[in-house]
Parts: sequence; structure tokens; C-alpha cells
Amino acid sequence: MKRIKRVAFMSVLLALCVGTPLLAGAADVLHMYTALDPNEAKVYIEAFIKDTKINVEWVRMSAGEVLTRLKAEAKNPQVSLWFGGPSTEFIAGKKEGLLVPYKSPVGAPFLKGNLKDAEDYWTGFYFGAIGFGNNTNWFEKNKVPYPTSWQDLLKPEFKGQISIAYPYTSGTAFTTLATVCMVMGEDKAFDYWKKLDANIHHYNTSGSACVTQAGLGEIAIGIAFSHDILAKGTSKGYPVKGSFPSEGTGYEIGGLGLIKGGPEPELGKKFIDWTLSKRAQDLMQVWFRIPLNPEAEIAAGATKAADVKLINYDDEWAGNNNKRLIEKWRQMIGK
Amino acid sequence: MIRTKRFVAALRRTPSDVKRLFQEPLLLMGIVLVNVFLFLFVVLPLFKIFQLSFEDNGRFSLQVFVDLMSKRYNVQPLIHSLTLGVAVSILGTLIGFIFAYAITRVNIPWKRFFTVTATFPIIAPPFMMSLSAILLFGKQGFVSKMILREIIQFKIYGFWGLLVVETLTYFSTAYLTLYGVLQAIDPALEDAALDLGASKGKIFRSITLPLATPGIASAILLIFSQSLADFGNPMILAGNYTILATQAYLTIVGMYNMKGGAALAILLLIPSLIAFCVQKYWVSRKSYVTVTGKPSAARIKVDRSLTKYSIFGLCLLLASVIFLFYGMILFGSVVKLWGANHSLTLANYAHVFTIGWEYIKDTLILSSIATPISGVLAMIIAFLVVRKNFPGKRLMELVSLLTFAVPGTVVGIGYILAFNQRPLLLTGTAAIIVLLFIFRDIAVGVQTGIAELQQIDPSIEEASTDLGADSSITFRRITLPLITPAFYSGLAFTFVKCMTAISAVIFVVSGKWNLITIAILGSVENSDLSQAAAFSVVIIIFILLALWLIQFLVNRLGGGRKLKFEKAESLQSI
Repeated sequence: MKRIKRVAFMSVLLALCVGTPLLAGAADVLHMYTALDPNEAKVYIEAFIKDTKINVEWVRMSAGEVLTRLKAEAKNPQVSLWFGGPSTEFIAGKKEGLLVPYKSPVGAPFLKGNLKDAEDYWTGFYFGAIGFGNNTNWFEKNKVPYPTSWQDLLKPEFKGQISIAYPYTSGTAFTTLATVCMVMGEDKAFDYWKKLDANIHHYNTSGSACVTQAGLGEIAIGIAFSHDILAKGTSKGYPVKGSFPSEGTGYEIGGLGLIKGGPEPELGKKFIDWTLSKRAQDLMQVWFRIPLNPEAEIAAGATKAADVKLINYDDEWAGNNNKRLIEKWRQMIGK
Repeated sequence: MIRTKRFVAALRRTPSDVKRLFQEPLLLMGIVLVNVFLFLFVVLPLFKIFQLSFEDNGRFSLQVFVDLMSKRYNVQPLIHSLTLGVAVSILGTLIGFIFAYAITRVNIPWKRFFTVTATFPIIAPPFMMSLSAILLFGKQGFVSKMILREIIQFKIYGFWGLLVVETLTYFSTAYLTLYGVLQAIDPALEDAALDLGASKGKIFRSITLPLATPGIASAILLIFSQSLADFGNPMILAGNYTILATQAYLTIVGMYNMKGGAALAILLLIPSLIAFCVQKYWVSRKSYVTVTGKPSAARIKVDRSLTKYSIFGLCLLLASVIFLFYGMILFGSVVKLWGANHSLTLANYAHVFTIGWEYIKDTLILSSIATPISGVLAMIIAFLVVRKNFPGKRLMELVSLLTFAVPGTVVGIGYILAFNQRPLLLTGTAAIIVLLFIFRDIAVGVQTGIAELQQIDPSIEEASTDLGADSSITFRRITLPLITPAFYSGLAFTFVKCMTAISAVIFVVSGKWNLITIAILGSVENSDLSQAAAFSVVIIIFILLALWLIQFLVNRLGGGRKLKFEKAESLQSI
């Protein structure tokens, strides 16, 4: 009995002294951060592990959090890859010097124009447009037509019925802010948002959260990406139907990129190649994303680029003006 | 050479207890180690926050605060947090007082039941109430949709929602504090008044209430700091009512603005520290309670049926509200898709034990490593503070208490600032989470240990020393066995806090190590309410299992003494 206590006591002391540098690390494991929904990320990552026998350790964070984390870890990168998140965030990441270029031979034939970084610091792998996720029950009950323009959202009947995320925590919301700036011009866009704010129920931290809130009837309209509206709303059985603004809408090219100084660059490159293959791009049907590989299958009902009026979304401008626009937004809205 | 001589000379001049330290190298080493750990993991993170906020190009500057306060989006959360804190502390103390008074002074039935109800919120993850509030009073809520058929719309996002959930979460603190105070008031005083012909109402107004006033003030201040530090509930329920703790988090995580986040953390720290100091050094000194140790006559309890049943009814109402909130979580966890498809299913639990298993495993592993270390360290500190004399003893006690006064968000920010570069590069490791767990709640273990030790006659230990044992043997063989109940209470408390922690650890979780509470927050944020409910139920089950296991160990090793878990919590107020 006494011995047990002594041993226990000593081992605790030992753990206190030795346990501090509890560092784990193993070979042939790819470490990554992902900004995709965890339930979705799991599908791709498990398929990758099955195909390549390379193990993956991953954490989900919103795109903004990934960027913060990478900045904090810049002196000692913990991961090799950043998987998922809008291109604007990757442009900010490139500017911060957090990424290294990689030109994937798999993507070379079809990744043109703004589908990837001109210097290959990040690579696009899907497309998605901003839209409105509407709760069909609410619209039926109140006999109001679905919003089909940015101006429609200002209607007084939508007071307290619209939800979106904070532009500073969510790539979705920032894309929306940049979109209205491009549609109306910056000054008018901020006047617009000031009026829109009166109709906002509340701001979320995660971009896709408003879709489920619309599904639950907490709000009538959620502003989100079309694939999130379908994947988290309509296809789950919630009474949600998408609509799009007639003035034109912005979109994201979802990207992935290698981290500068990451521990497993070769495994990271393999993951990028795999993500662009037909096999991986086919999987994107589960989340209604539009794959960039032209050979890949597109989910039935998914919103393709040809289905909506797109603006000429300038992601370089959006990425470079990120900080300024957000500060201006916060000053004006006060949140 | 000269230096050594001086040192030896200085040593000769030092008082005897310092000299004695050098005769016991193990004791000296212990003191040095404890101080080093406290400095590194309590003082340094706080220092880093101050440094980042006040230093501008190597000079002291208040510029960051001027910038901060000139912006509406920073001033509002400060006002909101303080308003909410005041409202919650008053309402929570009122409810806590009703329960404590009913149980100590009124002859009501079902006392055991009310005691359990009033203490249950302590072991539940703090943000469970918010989750439940959405399940009950959201637009698709059980009450708002199914019972009231959307006649009344509740505004749960914002001040009123937060007021209700935080009150229901934190009134337990007031209950435990006031239970202790009301119990300790000598019945002889009340008896004397009764004999002199005072009515029960008069006794309450002129004796019980005045004697309980310092306790009430204590409870208000404690709840005020708990409300200020609350992170989980505002994260879920604040809506547009922005709160300091969550804004500091969003400033760092969303805006990548470390300096701004650190400054917000200081705004949060100041009122918490003020509340802590007022409570510790002013209110608790005003205590009128005298513990005589004399066996006093049994307390005469209020037995008039009108008073008795109205208080009983009030308690029953409050208890049913609490039951409703927790019961809803259980119900929500077996519903397929909350709000759209209410068929019953176990799929959410399947999710918890497949996709969620990594989170559960990590949480259990990290909590199980941190709990015993924190427990032993707390007892060592308590032993050193009560039984040994060495320079800086008071400071050591104060620093170990400090962890308690500082809101989790502030600690979390301090940790990422202090440990993200060499030589103390810990971000991304399990170690940083374990260390945070160890030092986050060590104050309670230390306080329980000190209270227990002060009741034990030092002559028992002196006898051991006289027989030739050194300090470490005495601590191991005599002191530690004597304070086993305090030790296990500390263990239980720490384990619960580890399992339900969120405000500080959210800053230090990483790819390799993640926690259940973070997963719940993610689920709620995505409105996967049923999934979040299932996770919460699983946490509570693991906590109850662990408490049972610790109680079992106490029974086996500690000679059947009852686990004083509630005591550990109420000691916060001492």
C-alpha cells in the first residue's frame, strides 16, 4: 500500500518534469488544416487515405482561423497543407508569405485564368456562387416572393429575418461584402449594408451556419454559398430553396495550398494532385460543389456557373483589400 | 571567490528558517520547482498580455487603449458584459439564497432532491444551458412551437436569453456559499430572539439577513466574475449583444489582431480582479459568522404552513425549470433532425462514438494526465504554505490563487502569446493543453488543502520530524494521508473543470489534440443541435463515472469518508 502510494507520487512528479515536452510525431503522416465542413472533409480525406495509404491528421477551422493559426506558427509550421477555403483567403496567405508554390501536373490542362494563382501559390479545386437560402414555409405563410436581387433584401418585411456571418470570421460573408462592393461600387455598397443591417437577425461566426438556421425557421433568409444551401439545407430535408440576385453574384474558387516550411511537402503535393483527379472531383457531389476538372461528374441540382448571373469577381482586389474593408465594416456596423 | 564569501556571509545573516531550507535539499528543490512552475505557467502568460498591450516600440504606452476605446465595436461589449454581469449576479444570488434558506431554515420535504438540483449545474458543461434554451425557446423550440404554437415569440438571442441561462448556470455558486453561511450562523442567536417574542419574519429581517450579508455580497461578486468570464454561453446565444470574452476571441481568431485581443483581455481582466480583491480582502473579512465548535442545539425551522408551502412551491418551480432545461438535452439527443424531423433515433450517439470518438479520447487522456498532477501540486503548495516558512510564501499563495481570478479567455490568450516561440515552444502540443488544465483550477485544490491542513495539529508532523524523517517523508507518509479527502475533492473538481473547459483551451487546441467542448461548440454553431445534445449527454456520463470512480477510491483508501466535492466548490468563497 505504502509502496503503491510512493510509486504513484514519484511517477506524478516525474510526469510533471518530463511530461512537459510531450511532443508526438510520426513519419508518413500528412498534417493539414481544413476550412471545409468536418463531415465533408472526412469524405475526401478518408478516400485519400484509402487510395494512397498515406495517413492524414487534420483539424477543421474557419478560413480566418486557419490564416491566424498559420501566422502564429510561421516560425514553426505544424502542418503541410491548407485544404479548402475561398481563394481570397489564400491570396491573403500568399501576401503574408505563408505559402510555397506548387504547379500540379494533374491540374495543368484545365486550371486556367483565375482558377489558380498565377504563380501557383494556391490551386483551385471547386467553384461555388453566393446565393440566398430561403425557408419555403415562411415565404408561403407570409405570401412574399423569394428575394431575387440584392435590393430585395432591404424590404421591410424581412426585418430581423436575414442571417449571415461576420465578414471577419467567415470567408462566405467576406465574399458577400466584396461582391456588393463590386456590384454597386464601394461607397454605395457600405450604404447598402447599413440598411441591410436593420434586417439582420444576428451575425454568425461560421458562413454556412445561416443555412441550417433558415432550415430551422429561426430566420427566413440565409446568405451563403449555393453548395452549402443545397448540402446543409435542401438535401438534408429542411424546407430550404435557393435564389440568386439578378444584378449578378460573386463566387469563390475553393483552394488548397502548400505551407511554407511545412514538415511533409511531398505528401502535400500528392494530396493536391489527388484532389484534382477525376476520382476526387467526383466525390464533390456529396456537397454539391462544382468540380473544376471537366471530366468529373456534377451533382444533380447543383448550381453551375451557367445557371446564375455572375459578376466579374476580382479576387485579387478582394484579397488585397481584406483588412481595409473589414475595418471599415466594423466601424460602420459597430460589431 | 569573493562572491562565494559574500554569499556565505549573507547566508549566516539569514534567519533560521532559510538556513533550515539549505539543510533539506529536497524541500528547497520543491520550493524552487513550485515557484518556477507558477512563474512560467501563471505569471508569465499574464505578463505577456500586459507587455503586448502597453508596449509600443519598447516604450510604455496607453495608445492601444485609446484606439480601443475610440471604437464603438469595442466599447459596446464592455458595457454589455458589465450590465449582464450585474444582472446575473443579483438574480443568481437571489435564487441561490431562496434554495439555501429553504434547505437550512424551512421544514420543507424533498431536501435531498433540492440539494442535488441546486448543485447539478456545477458538473454540467456551462454552455449546455444555451443549447437547451434554443431547443426549448428557439423558433423551432419545444415550448415555443409545440406547446405555445408560436403564439409567443421569445427573444432568446441577446441580453434576456443570456440572463436566463447564466443565472441558471451560476446560481449554484450562490447556493453553496450561502448554504455554508446560513448553516454557520449560531442557532442560539435566533433562539434567543424567538424567546424574546420576535416573530419569524422579524428574526429573518433583523438577525438572519444581516448576519448573512457578507455571504450575499460574496456570492454576488463571485457570480459577477463567473458571468464576466463566461465564454460558451455568449458564443452560442449572444446574437448581436456582443460580449467582451467572445469579442477578444474573435479579434484574435477572426481579425488576426493579437494586440487588440490582448488589450480587450485586459479590459476583461480589470473588473474580474477588482471583484476578486473586494471579495477576498474586504467582504470575507467582514464575516460575522463565529465558529465556536460548541455543539449547539438543533435549529428550529420555519414550520408555518403558508410560509413553508410558498417557499416549497417556489423551490419546486425553480427545480422544475432546471430539470426542464437538462431534460431537454436528453430529449434533443435522440431526435433525428431538430426542427425538421422529430423521429427518434440513436444516430446522434453513433456519430459521437465514431466521428466524435477522437475528441472524447483526447479529452479523457488529457484530463486524466492533468488531474492527478494538479491534485498533487496543489497539496504540495498547500503543505508549503501552511507548514513551512520561507521567503515569498505569501506571494506563492497569492499567485496560486490568481489563476482563479483571471477569466479563461485572458489565460488562453496569455498562453498562446507566451508559448509560441523557442525556447518555450508549446503551441500545437498536448503539453500546452495539459499545463493549462493543471494551472487553470489549481487554486481550488490549494484552498481545500490549506483549509484541511489548518485543522490538523502540526504536532503529528513534528513527531515524525523528531523521529528523524525529513520534510518529504513527512509530507508523503503523514501529511498526504491526513489530507486525503481534500486531495480527492480537489481531484474531482479539477477533472470536472477539465472535461467542461472551453474559454481558455479554445486558443490552444490543435490538429493533433482536440476536445469535446470544442466539438460541441462547432455542432451548435452549425445548428446540428441534436449532435451537440448527444455530445453533452456523453460528457455528463463520463463526468458522473469519474466522480463515482474517485468516490470509490476514497472509500477504499480514505477509510470511507465522504467526498467533499461540494465543499471544494464552496471554498471558492473563502
